[in-house]
Amino acid sequence: MNTNAIEIRKLVKNYPAFTLGPVDLTVPRGAIYGLIGPNGAGKTTALDMIFGMGRNDSGTIRVLGLDHRADEVAVKQRAAYVSPDLNFQVWGKVGKAIRFVRGFYPGWDDACCTTLMHAFHLDSGDKITTLSFGAKTKLSLLLALSRRPEILILDEPTTGLDAISKQQVFAELLKAVEDGERTVLISSHGLSDLERFTDHIGMIKNGKVLLEGRTDEIVDRFRLAEFFSTNGTTFLNRAGLVILRRTENRWHALLDQNSDAHSWLQSHGATDLSLTRVTLEDLFVALAKEEDK
Amino acid sequence: MSSERKNLLIGPISPAADGALYQQIVDRIKREIAEDRLKPGTALPSFRQFAEDLLVSVITVKRAYEELEREGIIYRRQGLGTFVAERGDDRSREAKLAAAKELLRNGFREAAEAGLNPDELAELAREILEKKNEHQRH
Repeated sequence: MNTNAIEIRKLVKNYPAFTLGPVDLTVPRGAIYGLIGPNGAGKTTALDMIFGMGRNDSGTIRVLGLDHRADEVAVKQRAAYVSPDLNFQVWGKVGKAIRFVRGFYPGWDDACCTTLMHAFHLDSGDKITTLSFGAKTKLSLLLALSRRPEILILDEPTTGLDAISKQQVFAELLKAVEDGERTVLISSHGLSDLERFTDHIGMIKNGKVLLEGRTDEIVDRFRLAEFFSTNGTTFLNRAGLVILRRTENRWHALLDQNSDAHSWLQSHGATDLSLTRVTLEDLFVALAKEEDK
Repeated sequence: MSSERKNLLIGPISPAADGALYQQIVDRIKREIAEDRLKPGTALPSFRQFAEDLLVSVITVKRAYEELEREGIIYRRQGLGTFVAERGDDRSREAKLAAAKELLRNGFREAAEAGLNPDELAELAREILEKKNEHQRH
């Protein structure tokens, strides 16, 4: 059996003012995968296309080994998508929305639904229009999770949620992948949450993939470097090194330990070189900045 | 699906604490073993279940288990689960001792660089020990 839940290969989508791709992304089965990138990087475009919203100009998307367009119905039965644009107000009350969505999915899990209603403090009688923003997000998550989908795709699910709700959401996502078969793909700007809860990360910027891999390995690979230089060497435009700022002779940079930047610095007059671990946020800021040069 | 939940309390894992998250898990489990709260042969939670309990990614727990397995402190039996090794407590203590020696060596070097002589150093060590004992009594 295929060990990848989602395989995106050479995906390209052209818009008048923006091109996504060519993008390759691999989401392993059983993982929580975080898709990150600055606003406008193409995250939502990529996620929408997995679900057949917008037709790709070239490339392939395979979901659980199935072609996302040729096997569209099967894909949609087995994968669920939670988007910030979902609107359940037409059903009036929470209970009615649940009964409606439930009817479409043979695999609907009533016990899971009941547990989640309790955990998320939702009640069948609640009027959807009066729910807070966070409660509406929880409702759409509940509707997706209760289907027990093999793949759950979430676009910015934690935007506007308080810290407690965010933790609840991630606790549910960890539960969802507990059997090692189900997979979660999540796009978010909550980088400290993603660093803690995701197994894999993909970062896109300007429609291109900058990085992809195990979250821990990616974070381990980079260091924040601080050093002095008085010999006038310019450290700009060196592979494996992103200069973050400079105050006179003191330099701050992001250093890729998979490159030779470390020894190169030492042989080019950098002194008092010190390295510190990065957070995913440090990495994100540095890499987002680099491309802008 | 998980059959029976195994509870293992090791305290909260936090990015605000020192070290990578997986390293914190490694250290806590070693401490549980060294202090005899986790005995040889005890089954550990599956890494997916433990991830849920600790609210960290599955990869984080997996990496911690791999590290402990490499050090011979725990072992995996295909289909049965992960267990604390026989003599895992000794190995755990050895590993802790090696880490402690390394930290002390670094500490002494820093102190020497700060100009402390051996007598002053010993005095400093005593002071720290006394303070630690006070904390433990609370």
